[in-house]
Amino acid sequence: MAVKLPRIFRTAPFRLTLLFVLLFASAAFAFLAYIYVATAGEATRRTDQEIGREMRSLVDVYDRAGIDAVNQSLIQRAANDKPFLYLLLTRDGRRISGSIEESPVETFAGRPTWATFQVTDVDAVGGEVKHPARGLQQRLRDGEILFVGADAGEDEAYVARVVRALWASVALVVLLGFAGGLLVSRNVSRTMVDLIDVVERVRNGEQGVRARVRGARDEFDELAQGVNEMLDRLERSMQGHKHAGDAIAHDLRSPLTRLRARLETAYLDVEAGKGDATEALAQALDDTDGVLKTFGAVLSIARLQAAGQAPNPTLFDPADLAADISELYEPFCEEKDIDYAAETAKDLTVRGNREFLAQALANILDNAVKYTPAGGAIMLRVRRRSSGEVELSVTDTGPGVPEEDRERAIQRFVRLENSRNEPGAGLGLSLVAAVAEAHGGRLELSEGPGKVGDMGPGLRVAFILPRA
Amino acid sequence: MRILIVEDDAEAADAMARGLTEAGHQCVRGGDGEQGLAAARDGEFDVMVVDRMMPKMDGLTLVGTLRREGDRTPVLFLSALGEVGDRVDGLQAGGDDYLVKPYAFPELIARIEALARRRDTGSVHTLLKVGELEMDLIGRTVHRSGKMIDLQPREFQLLEFMMRHAGQSVTRTMLLEKVWHYHFDPQTNVIDVHISRLRSKIDKGFDRPMLQTVRGAGYRLDA
Repeated sequence: MAVKLPRIFRTAPFRLTLLFVLLFASAAFAFLAYIYVATAGEATRRTDQEIGREMRSLVDVYDRAGIDAVNQSLIQRAANDKPFLYLLLTRDGRRISGSIEESPVETFAGRPTWATFQVTDVDAVGGEVKHPARGLQQRLRDGEILFVGADAGEDEAYVARVVRALWASVALVVLLGFAGGLLVSRNVSRTMVDLIDVVERVRNGEQGVRARVRGARDEFDELAQGVNEMLDRLERSMQGHKHAGDAIAHDLRSPLTRLRARLETAYLDVEAGKGDATEALAQALDDTDGVLKTFGAVLSIARLQAAGQAPNPTLFDPADLAADISELYEPFCEEKDIDYAAETAKDLTVRGNREFLAQALANILDNAVKYTPAGGAIMLRVRRRSSGEVELSVTDTGPGVPEEDRERAIQRFVRLENSRNEPGAGLGLSLVAAVAEAHGGRLELSEGPGKVGDMGPGLRVAFILPRA
Repeated sequence: MRILIVEDDAEAADAMARGLTEAGHQCVRGGDGEQGLAAARDGEFDVMVVDRMMPKMDGLTLVGTLRREGDRTPVLFLSALGEVGDRVDGLQAGGDDYLVKPYAFPELIARIEALARRRDTGSVHTLLKVGELEMDLIGRTVHRSGKMIDLQPREFQLLEFMMRHAGQSVTRTMLLEKVWHYHFDPQTNVIDVHISRLRSKIDKGFDRPMLQTVRGAGYRLDA
């Protein structure tokens, strides 16, 4: 049966914490185990050394003065409250004297033998207490057997304390780690829950929902910021689409209505047997081309805005682009008796889609050519602004656009009153503006060179690209 | 010329086939990608016109498959997708030219004929000759009836394209694409001025004009 754990136990941070707790606990355990081995070993070694020293001193007494001197010495030592246990046995193992009844050494082959055993003591209130003890037994020169032992109680108690400390600290590590993990994961998952909540609400179609940026500048803030930027862009793009839909409807409906009316009239005329439909059909074809052109531009704008950036950008010199476009337009201007000049700064670099930028520049020039009367002038200029931005500008000596209309002129699908009769106008500059925006740049409209005779004041269209 | 039309819009395909038949070509039709592929494998064609978005198999896959099988028949893609990236996709899949829908019929026929012509010129010529007009591609010189004609670099390229497609209509859009390498239509007819300059250089002082304007289509260089 699957047990459904509370949410916090299922969070990734919590699982991670558990893993860390496990790791820490193992490390702590290994570390403390080493300390234990080191201390416990040290305690035994110290006891053994003392026993060894005592044994040597007794053997020395025996060697110098014989068994009686040893007995004497044992009595003295016991009286002096030495912390040793003694036992002296005859050659065949009968007890001669000592502070214990029998040797804890069970099998004695004659060589010095160590033993670990327990002594029973009586404490202050009469209870029996068992102490761990160590002892050394060896045969003396004439065959008697001597055992020297020592209570290892104190050292053992020390080791026991260490062991208790070990367990306590492991428990503490686990406990603290667990608690810390809970705390951290609660914190983390609360932030995550906030984000998940935002995502959920957006998924359900709510607009304008944004994640909270706590100002901690950590990766959660980064994530929240990223999510917010993504949502902003999504919303802009959605609005763009909606606007595009409205605009397409608006911009295509009127020419289509006109087209329909023309066809209808022609049809009725032909049906009534009066006149020839050729003229009307030719007109209708022209109208259709106009509609298609508008549609193409609307589509380009919509796709640029939806993408948010120009596709396949490359680095290139804007002077080359200006030269190419000039080569295309200069003869055309000459034909219309418009003075064409290009002034381009050298060694600039821009980053963008060359095709789109060429189209933008061509559209600006188309506009300029369209509105500049014979005898006028058009100037294409490429320069670096003091801000480091690259500016491609076209100045003409046409009627210009009144200041109050300039903003509107680059908005989509706006056709200014005085250009009402020019086919295809209106989308040119808005497409240019969309291209500029897609390159992180902008379009600026200002007055041209001013009024000269019946010409001017002209229009200056500046296409500004960010520094590459 | 035998032309395979692979297009799922029956009405558009009808109109296309009618127009091409009137222009003296033979048309075979495939109503979707799979039919188109079968037809292309079955017969020999001079040009294939392939719609990009079709049921069962899209145009890119169709042409890609044919190219892998070694079929080098020139392909003109038709598509409602006209951005630079879309063209690149089409050409990378093995298409030879790309025409965005909707198109004017003269544009379509001019491109089809240009593609078929390209196939004929298998060998490399250093000298182009159309009637009295001679172009030396290495010396970069042009003569008409032995008289040297001085051309600007772009005029040279323009004339080269016209000479390679002599006798065919070429549209303004084609010139803009193939000579200037721009894939958009300027609103003003900038190309006309370039043509008229070229015309004044190659036809001035000669009885018979070679560079013709084709009404409703574009231009044609006649021998």
